[in-house]
Amino acid sequence: MIAALSEVALALAAALAFSSLLLLALGYDAASSLLTMFSYGFGNPEYLAAVAAPLVLSALAFLIPFKAGMFNIGGEGQAYLGALLFLYASQGLGALGIAAGALAGALLGGLVGALRAFLGVNEVIASIMINWTLFYVTLFSVSKYLTHPEYPHRSIDVGFSLGAPYSLLLAALAALAAYALLYRTLLGYEIRVVGSSPRAAAYAGIDARRAAVISMAIGGLFGGLAGTLKVMYVGHIDATMSALFGVGFLGIGVALIGRANPLGSVASALLLAGMIIGGHWMELRLGTPPELTDVIVGTTVLVLSAPYALKLLLKGGGLGGG
Amino acid sequence: MAPLVFMKEIRKVYPEGTVALRGASFELLEGEVHALLGENGAGKTTLMKILYGELRPTSGEIYFRGERVSFRSPQEAMRRGIAMVHQSFALVPTFTVLENLYLAISSVRKVSQGEVRSRAAELGKELGIEVPLNARVEQLPAGMRQRAEILKALLLEAKVIILDEPTSLLTPFEAEALIALIRRLRAKGVSFVYVTHKLREVKEVADRVTVLRKGLNVGTLQARETSEAEMAKLMVGAAVERAKRRPPREVGEVVLEVEGLVARDEMGVERLRGVSFSVRAGEIVGIAGVQGSGQRELAEAIAGLRRPERGSIRVRGVEIAGKPPREARRLGVLYVPELREEGLALEMNIVENSILARQRGHARGPLVDWGSAEERARGLVERFKVVFGSLWDRAAALSGGNQQRLMVGRELSSRGALLIAHEPTQGLDVTSAEMVREEILRLRDEGMAVLLISSDLDEVLELSDRVIVLFEGRSVGELRGEEASIEKVGRLMGGAA
Amino acid sequence: MVEAELWAFIAVSSVAYMTPILLVTIGEIIAERSGVVNIGVEGILLASAFAAVAAAFFSGSAALGVASGALAGALIGALFGLFAVYLRADQIIAGLAINLSSYGFTVLGLIALWGHHGASPRVEAELPYFSLGQGSVPLLSLLALLIAAVAWLLLFRTRAGLALRACGEEPSAAYAMGVNVRLYRMAAVVLGGALAGLGGSFLALELAGSFTRGMSAGMGFIALANVAFSGWNPLPAILGAYVFGFLSAAADALQQEVGYAYLLKTLPYLGTLAAAALLGRRSIRPPQRLGVPF
Repeated sequence: MIAALSEVALALAAALAFSSLLLLALGYDAASSLLTMFSYGFGNPEYLAAVAAPLVLSALAFLIPFKAGMFNIGGEGQAYLGALLFLYASQGLGALGIAAGALAGALLGGLVGALRAFLGVNEVIASIMINWTLFYVTLFSVSKYLTHPEYPHRSIDVGFSLGAPYSLLLAALAALAAYALLYRTLLGYEIRVVGSSPRAAAYAGIDARRAAVISMAIGGLFGGLAGTLKVMYVGHIDATMSALFGVGFLGIGVALIGRANPLGSVASALLLAGMIIGGHWMELRLGTPPELTDVIVGTTVLVLSAPYALKLLLKGGGLGGG
Repeated sequence: MAPLVFMKEIRKVYPEGTVALRGASFELLEGEVHALLGENGAGKTTLMKILYGELRPTSGEIYFRGERVSFRSPQEAMRRGIAMVHQSFALVPTFTVLENLYLAISSVRKVSQGEVRSRAAELGKELGIEVPLNARVEQLPAGMRQRAEILKALLLEAKVIILDEPTSLLTPFEAEALIALIRRLRAKGVSFVYVTHKLREVKEVADRVTVLRKGLNVGTLQARETSEAEMAKLMVGAAVERAKRRPPREVGEVVLEVEGLVARDEMGVERLRGVSFSVRAGEIVGIAGVQGSGQRELAEAIAGLRRPERGSIRVRGVEIAGKPPREARRLGVLYVPELREEGLALEMNIVENSILARQRGHARGPLVDWGSAEERARGLVERFKVVFGSLWDRAAALSGGNQQRLMVGRELSSRGALLIAHEPTQGLDVTSAEMVREEILRLRDEGMAVLLISSDLDEVLELSDRVIVLFEGRSVGELRGEEASIEKVGRLMGGAA
Repeated sequence: MVEAELWAFIAVSSVAYMTPILLVTIGEIIAERSGVVNIGVEGILLASAFAAVAAAFFSGSAALGVASGALAGALIGALFGLFAVYLRADQIIAGLAINLSSYGFTVLGLIALWGHHGASPRVEAELPYFSLGQGSVPLLSLLALLIAAVAWLLLFRTRAGLALRACGEEPSAAYAMGVNVRLYRMAAVVLGGALAGLGGSFLALELAGSFTRGMSAGMGFIALANVAFSGWNPLPAILGAYVFGFLSAAADALQQEVGYAYLLKTLPYLGTLAAAALLGRRSIRPPQRLGVPF
């Protein structure tokens, strides 16, 4: 726990140092930019909750299959589909639209899991192909069928909204459920055995294909919910998908910075949400591009990916601290 | 005359803290075959990997022809004429023999593939090392791969060849051919380090023998003048009481019945070619055979981990061939697999590993009953003397011997009708190995049917009430325990009818 | 346009569309043959496209643009290699991180250099063409075919290629035979990055004429799929790249004819998915130690 925290802190520090250099090289005021990012990012709890909630869910979308040894890079596509179906279903069904969004994501995730389990299709490649397919299908649907009668550049409004605090509550409950699933249930145990050692799983009589399909379906469910919560907060899908784009991908970063732990993901989602919001303030006040957040997240994940890099950093940190 | 190789007070501490060598010394004379003898974990292989530049010593000095050397890579050692033939061969399995030879030699000096081919053919003929140069390595039997390795060493003009447990994968016939080859090469001035834990081979092949125990050398003897008993005592430290085979109390009904079993390995090679036998309650049936004679396929087929091509496997009268492993488990099959990374999920903790393969027995509805799992883990580590930090440490953090004790203990302390024990004592020190053997005997006496598969022939002979010898996937002989002798079984293992 | 003419046009323009996919595929084949999976090629494609446009924009030289793109690819490849090879990182996660950072970095650069969030201005620097009968083909497309042949020779006919493949098949054996496994893997990843960078330059300077945010749009992953389709062999990779180039070219050409632009754009992705589903269980073995740090 403490080791995990110090590893994340060091990786973040390394990423911030790198980002500062990048900002300086591009001619921005690095110190003020980062200061603004962190001091303004966490000021509005409601906004923070609204940005964090979908991130928690897209992190879970990556995390559950990850524990089964699969890389669900399809959180993005699952979020598009979830958002689209929620938008459509909430018109008539109201709150029940949430179920439609989640279910759509689950079916999509399960499909990718089944492609992998039964046809040997690499889930990373299948996910990316489906992401882009759904990107265009969503654009098509919004521009053709769900266009707002007065504003042609966006879709009609959602038929139901939870509000930011309840969104975050839903996300936190999902994280708790994911934690319980992984560490308290037989299914979770079996998923983790498959992920940590496929051979031991076979030895223990665990059906790896079943674990692949189920974990991807559960991941997809969370991915669909992530899109649902995002579109719920924004209120519609715009014609460039600017609000939805990246929710799934960022979830991967959230999950990995949360050390692939559901509860860690909640903390890391709040941190990243603050950085995203702070990034917009940074742009507003200093003109520094908010995409700096993506660089910071990517670099942090890169450092975290390498156990040796962490050891080197920890050693260096130990020397620096005496 | 200065020795060809002199290693002085070598210490080696691995990064995770294991002390492999505590100041061991070793000397090799020109033109001698020097056996390096010791138990599993005594540090033999580590010492030789240091000589070969694969590992760096923590401290100590190495001299080659009287000159202080420090090899940073195998390449540097090879340039000086030191070659090592590993237990698991250092050949790329998907390449041809020629490609492997060319790759190795061209990394030391400039040479064309054609030159390597003609030189290899020439040398092979001269020394009687025939290897098909254009065959892919993965398709060759173990003895052939080893010859390819030795040929590689000779093409590199090696003056010192280190052989690490060279006979572990060979048939007795191949082993004899190897020893003859070693003699021929020694006559041509090549020196050998012969790493082994088999006393018999030392007497057969070596001029001198150095015994290692727990990372220290405890004596160097003239092989001709010493006895197996003396070497054994040096190797183990004290005479250890080995389990004595004792007749079964009461042999019951047939628990396992295998008939005409045919199975292939991952590469599609037919490894089991029609094996039939049965095991009754209260008896131990031992499977002897050179490694790779179909043992793994046999164990896996019974455990439900390998779908046989043909044949039937009945446990307590129920056909399970081709059924999933859960079916075998349900009928009371306990299975100690050959590989620890199969029987343990190394990245998961000790408690989680304690319920592996019986997780459904520790469930309350859809939930895992962690209370009972922890209780089981506690009982296990205590009874089988697993040394650990915390029950919530990853199994990967345990040493190899402790992992083995955890895995074997989990299976041996479960209720069941049939135990398949594949190499149950590998990697264990003598005392632990004896404890495991005692436990197996106890289970038999309580009425369990036991199928014991082991490459340690002494172990098979000591424990088994019946011995079945596998050769190239067929059963070539079945002997009653009391009539099975090393000589008889050894002959059968080599394929002699 | 007349039907036949339209399809002939698509068939020829497919050669241009296939080029970045082919270049990335060849680079990734080299990396994977050495035992390293780099799914960061998607990010490399994007970042090198940006570097190429930036260099061409400010220097006015297309050649300098292409060189900068390739150099950027090699540098990111080296960064990835530092983590994946020398620091023994999880290769998939390190690759994801490269993709994530590249996206952020290029948008950052877009705003810093041109003050625009979506796209760079058009670059007027033109890449050379090679006349072929009545039409003409970009010189780089021909070069890509040549590179495929050279890569094949390198992998299967040289001592370096043998050593490189040994690193992907059985690195411990390769090491024991005196091959510097990490150096070979690093070199393979850097070379792979440079080739992906060349692909990114072509994508931006030739196919698009400018840089737009996220313009790689999964092309790197299509190339990753093509690596498996080709059986880790640069020559069959040409065929795969052409098929995907054809789908992209068809999507672009047909949308002007029949509309439904958004739906047509899904063609290359669905084509890749279908191919993966059909070819998923083929018996061609990947390098045995692919993705395993050494």
